[in-house]
Amino acid sequence: MKQLTALQHQARRSNSFRGASLPLDTSADGAIKSPATIFWLALHGLCCLISLVLGFRFSRLVFFLFFCTSSPSATINLYTALQTRLPSSITTSPPAANGTAVAVDGRSRVVVGRHGILIRPWPHPDPAEVMKAHQIIERVQREQRVQYGFKSPRTVIAITPTYVRTFQTLHLTGVMHSLMNVPYNVVWIVVEAGGTTNETAALISKSGLKTVHIGFNARMPILWEDRHKMESQMRVHALRVVREKKLDGIVVFADESNMHSMELFDEIQNVEWIGAVSVGILPHSGGSEGVELSAVSREDNDKNQNSEMPVQGPACNSSNQLVGWHTFNMLPFMERSARYVGDRAVVLPRKLEWAGFILNSRLVWKDVEDKPAWVKDLDVVGREGEDIESPMSFLEDPSAVEPLGSCGRKIMLWWLRVEARADSKFPARWIIDPPLDVTVPAKHTPWPDAPPELPTSVVKVISIPENTEKRVAKRSTRKRS
Amino acid sequence: MKIWVFALIFYFAFCARIEALKFHKTQQTERISGSAGDVLEDDPVGRLKVFVYELPSKYNKKILQKDPRCLTHMFAAEIYMHRFLLSSPVRTLNPEEADWFYTPVYTTCDLTPNGLPLPFKSPRMMRSAIQLISSNWPYWNRTEGADHFFIVPHDFGACFHYQEEKAIERGILKLLQRATLVQTFGQRNHDCLKDGSITIPPYAPPQKMQTHLIPPSTPRSIFVYFRGLFYDVGNDPEGGYYARGARASVWENFKNNPLFDISTEHPTTYYEDMQRAVFCLCPLGWAPWSPRLVEAVIFGCIPVIIADDIVLPFADAIPWEDIGVFVAEKDVPKLDTILTSIPIEEILRKQRLLANPSMKQAMLFPQPAQSRDAFHQILNGLARKLPHDKSVYLKPGEKILNWTAGPVGDLKPW
Amino acid sequence: MGSLERSKKKVQLWKKAIVHFMLCFVMGFFTGFAPTGKSLLFSNGVAISNHSSEFSPQPAEVLNPEKTQNFTSRELEETAISTAPEESRDAENLKNPKEETINNGELNPRRLVIIVTPTSKTDRLRGVLLRRLANTLKLVAQPLLWIVVEQFSDSVEVSEILRNTGIMYRHVVFKENFTDIHAEMDHQRNLALNHIEHHRLSGIVHFASLLNVYDLSFFQEIRAIEAFGTWPIAKLYANKKKVIIEGPVCDSSEVIGWHLKKMENLTDTSTATTFPIHISSFAFNSSILWDPERWGRTSSAQRTSQNALKFVKKEVLEEDTKLKGIPQEGCSKVLLWNLHILKS
Repeated sequence: MKQLTALQHQARRSNSFRGASLPLDTSADGAIKSPATIFWLALHGLCCLISLVLGFRFSRLVFFLFFCTSSPSATINLYTALQTRLPSSITTSPPAANGTAVAVDGRSRVVVGRHGILIRPWPHPDPAEVMKAHQIIERVQREQRVQYGFKSPRTVIAITPTYVRTFQTLHLTGVMHSLMNVPYNVVWIVVEAGGTTNETAALISKSGLKTVHIGFNARMPILWEDRHKMESQMRVHALRVVREKKLDGIVVFADESNMHSMELFDEIQNVEWIGAVSVGILPHSGGSEGVELSAVSREDNDKNQNSEMPVQGPACNSSNQLVGWHTFNMLPFMERSARYVGDRAVVLPRKLEWAGFILNSRLVWKDVEDKPAWVKDLDVVGREGEDIESPMSFLEDPSAVEPLGSCGRKIMLWWLRVEARADSKFPARWIIDPPLDVTVPAKHTPWPDAPPELPTSVVKVISIPENTEKRVAKRSTRKRS
Repeated sequence: MKIWVFALIFYFAFCARIEALKFHKTQQTERISGSAGDVLEDDPVGRLKVFVYELPSKYNKKILQKDPRCLTHMFAAEIYMHRFLLSSPVRTLNPEEADWFYTPVYTTCDLTPNGLPLPFKSPRMMRSAIQLISSNWPYWNRTEGADHFFIVPHDFGACFHYQEEKAIERGILKLLQRATLVQTFGQRNHDCLKDGSITIPPYAPPQKMQTHLIPPSTPRSIFVYFRGLFYDVGNDPEGGYYARGARASVWENFKNNPLFDISTEHPTTYYEDMQRAVFCLCPLGWAPWSPRLVEAVIFGCIPVIIADDIVLPFADAIPWEDIGVFVAEKDVPKLDTILTSIPIEEILRKQRLLANPSMKQAMLFPQPAQSRDAFHQILNGLARKLPHDKSVYLKPGEKILNWTAGPVGDLKPW
Repeated sequence: MGSLERSKKKVQLWKKAIVHFMLCFVMGFFTGFAPTGKSLLFSNGVAISNHSSEFSPQPAEVLNPEKTQNFTSRELEETAISTAPEESRDAENLKNPKEETINNGELNPRRLVIIVTPTSKTDRLRGVLLRRLANTLKLVAQPLLWIVVEQFSDSVEVSEILRNTGIMYRHVVFKENFTDIHAEMDHQRNLALNHIEHHRLSGIVHFASLLNVYDLSFFQEIRAIEAFGTWPIAKLYANKKKVIIEGPVCDSSEVIGWHLKKMENLTDTSTATTFPIHISSFAFNSSILWDPERWGRTSSAQRTSQNALKFVKKEVLEEDTKLKGIPQEGCSKVLLWNLHILKS
């Protein structure tokens, strides 16, 4: 109580204080003289200390008022806090009458009341920490793969037939990115129709995968029917490479027309000799000028897409044994199926696409003791240039195929065949050289937001001869105004 | 001059005392580590016997009938524990051989339209129940409740008020002062947490969580995940009261960090998202615990516990320090630095520990009960308190409890 | 007389006392006035009792202003240290992004790339194309954030695809119904931009259509963008002869002119009329959304957050001085192909 009175005195008198500084030593002299003065000195000291603490709290209050958006109740709280922080002898003094009660019980340190919301002054996020966090995530994911993935995964041997054309980069990049994501060893065999080109080589070298780039000595025909046949021959050609080099692993036929789910590459690790997965077929007419999707697929649009999507692949009985095949129902498309590349009609898959089959590479090796008896030798199969419609042709006994991916209930791979017209041209390696013409100068607003008054024909149909792959990516820095 | 000397001396005295206190603190927070995992495997059957008082249904079943939501909210443990004990092999029908006595009162089953419990009637109800058992059976008076346990899962346990200040003001219901409390609330050095209480996880619906499980191989692609309130504008318009400002601080400091997937919106994929997060924030809310703790453990997401002096569920059996990350409330602005500087090996180890099914099992109240689940852990906790100290048995005629203590309102008949 | 003298002495004594109190007060005031990042402000409020040394160990920090100050100043130092190199690093990042290659750079900080992908449930190929785009994005060097927008539905298809990718993504869901696909796509992009704005995410934003195919170096290139960037985009049409290349004509990285779509086409689609540039052929620094003043633009209050997309488009169009051609050597290399297969 005394202290409080003293404080009140102080408050009342501070206004009239004139700034006279009294010599301290007089008080010191007087202090020794009597017990009364000693008492006063002690009191004085105590009051000094209280002022110190008060000053400290006050500064915090000021700080708080300035830096935190404050409100009247904040100050109330401040006083509460202040009061509780005074030494124990003082906690008995009673201004706890305000609303926020504080536990003065002794053992509780829990403060009920307002706390500062800490906002750090330094900028963030710290880029270095972001990178560290990403490393942690990456490591965690790797650990998950180690823990839940295959313990001793086999190499994935991907076989892709290709040739240089307008859609090659688009398609091949898609397949390449899928393969690059495969968490196992990958050998990518790219078979190019018409011989190897630098264009293709440059593209696949970006993958960083182990690639085998081989040529196939024939030009890609224009009719879809012939194309399918030739692609089969190209795949067999690649299988011969597997045979010769005795590549050990699992062979997948990753076509340019495929899109892959990453689960596929886990699932195929289960294959023993020859496996089959379901392929989701995405038929399209490529119609961009009024040619709509066929009747069937338009119906698909209305219903659940996945369940209605045509699927090719193994069919099983209840005990997951192969009983037959889901083939693509071509009937609705028969009248309007594309015959040649660029035909504006639905491009159809074959009855069973190669992409749906997965082989143990030892199946095509020359002399393997444990090779099952129901496999024909590779040399026997593709001899007279006969059409090998699917890897089923290698088998004496088609029932040997192991259905994978919950037997057709899970689709992990899709088929979408899109091509430009065969005579479509594109800049070699997609380097625009010579540079495009300026159709709108940059400085005067490239696009009008007022009524458009642009030259009518601003479409740039690039007409650069196809396959000028020898051209180096030289860029001219011609100055134009 | 002397004044300054005085002041300085005071000053240093303070400093010294503070150091001493700090030392104490670190010693106190150090936990006995070691056999934690084994304790989880304990089977309580044969180690204790529980007598369940037969109470009129107005103390439990009737209350539940009025509001079936009580079966699904976070405090439903009081109901499920009752059901569990009725059919448990540890139950005894002979009170003479019982180690523990259980009074089934559903004190939190009084919900607002929003589903929040307002336990205004709970003290009277509890008092009435205790009066009933103490007059019908001799066992309460023998120890005045020292061998009785009560399940009080409300936010502030047996303080029975939804506002913390009021709860502290009230303190633990005087009649329960000698009993053992089984409660969700766990704030060390708090008036509403009695020594010797058993802290349990909040109830989280096991079936619902089960249906949202995704394969553990799903890549974890979220660094830090949190869904929930940052500001409770309705109850704390100024901010700074709710979560002691910690949640607001999380938002203000990390909303612009792409690694922090934090939001107030609960997506339908909430459970799935937790399963693909590395760290899940479990900051305090109005009370220090949150159901996220349970969810994080179930979903294998490392819980980042931001609640100073929290007492965690079954802390004597679950090695929380090993599976979680503790961040002081004042360190929230440094959360990113703290989390990114944890060595990767430690993170992987925590994840491995979290993958341990017994850890998950101990967090759940499944229907029907399974071995090692939270019910069994509660019994284990009770068994570990046996035998009762001889001193708890009162001499004939001795009275400790003051039946008329507490606010006048609580003394009215229920 | 004596009493007068005594009272005078008393006044003196009081004055002296007041001086001391004031001094102490000022001392305390300054001791506590150091700004703290820690708020010991009120967070550790504690009541000390007589037996506190045993039961209440924590009041410690509060009562020791000196300690607080030490602590604070130390923290301030830390702050200074942590900010300085960050800024310089940032600057470096802007200047020579080429130095960081995709595969090296363990802790080499990179700019955040934010990819926004709207999806339509009427798109039959959505699931497949999402997977394909995810395969590409998974290969991009971190940090990358993928914001995928989808109309609310019971189907878990998109969620499932996304969570198996391992990419850091945000799945934004909305409830409104649209009949016009273009309006819906724009709405979705707006939602993504609102997300970026709400979170004040800082990075380079790019709208990736599901029908796009990217060369991986694309993502490295756009990290170099300071304000706005643009590049040529090749549109490939199924079963047609033509290949359309749209986009800027550059001298080095300076945009000197444009190639545009046919005007007839512009009237076709509602988006094209308002914004003739292809939505996938530009990227911008996200801070334009939440800190437009920094770019010398009017404050965000002036635009409605309803249409952040419109704002961004307008900015891209007006700010050709800040527009950068990608790739930097004359934007002559096509790194992005857009597949035209369906009517929509």
